[in-house]
Amino acid sequence: MNYFELFGLEAEFSLDLNELSSAYQALQKTVHPDRFAHSSSQEQLLSVQKSAEINDAFNLLKQPITRGEYILKLRGTELASEQQTLQDVDFLMEQMELHEMLGDIKHASDVDAALFAAQETLDVQSQHLWQQFEQLLTDDNQQNNHKAAELLRKLKFYKKLQIELERIEDALFDD
Amino acid sequence: MAYSEKVIDHYENPRNVGSFDKTDPQVATGMVGAPACGDVMKLQLKINEQGIIEDAKFKTYGCGSAIASSSLVTEWVKGKSIDEAAAIKNTEIVEELALPPVKIHCSILAEDAIKAAIEDYRAKHPG
Repeated sequence: MNYFELFGLEAEFSLDLNELSSAYQALQKTVHPDRFAHSSSQEQLLSVQKSAEINDAFNLLKQPITRGEYILKLRGTELASEQQTLQDVDFLMEQMELHEMLGDIKHASDVDAALFAAQETLDVQSQHLWQQFEQLLTDDNQQNNHKAAELLRKLKFYKKLQIELERIEDALFDD
Repeated sequence: MAYSEKVIDHYENPRNVGSFDKTDPQVATGMVGAPACGDVMKLQLKINEQGIIEDAKFKTYGCGSAIASSSLVTEWVKGKSIDEAAAIKNTEIVEELALPPVKIHCSILAEDAIKAAIEDYRAKHPG
């Protein structure tokens, strides 16, 4: 049983997070330790293992990057543990410039405006990639899946930028 | 996770940070990124007419190990021929910096950056 089936959901990228959340809570109730208080230790152990599996599934499906990776994996395109480097020069140049933009925020005359503009830039660019990604997944074929995997690799760089932006924001508010 | 002393040294005092003019025919630029962690590395080599690497600079956005790996290779490639630099293996970087298994991809990034720069040089100087 795959993680989507576990929650009774279609294996689609655009899932309803509220629906996922409800399914998660309902499922966790069925394996809650209180229900197994009078069961054998074997059954108690199984319920703990099941509960851990439900947690793993929920955490994986709620994040778009890991959810996307999982769908591609179900389709036979594995990308989670790869160590291969990305060498798309134009894309990497843009990434360098985005990192420089983030680095300049603390020197801006209007820091709030700079933070806002940086968030806007990251959002617009990553949403553009997500749209292409979703479009590619609508047709399950090898060529599309490979292209989708390539987009997901790029989206991981945007995730890194987002974490960096949040770190900068936290540091500014601490002062 | 504890960084080795050598990683900390390169991280706190990175060697050869910066850029060369990438339109200079002597300058070769290698750009690589690691999707696993989102690190981006730019390595530039200044190569003379005899094919010897005279100088190197880097710019890396990434973790301490990625910065240390790129800083280290800028030191290593100086004075080497193109072929000698191309022979540098990520395992040598891992050994020198005592990188843990989860940081091996940082050394792969640095090795691939050298290779990408050399490819750029060969594209600029065919034959």
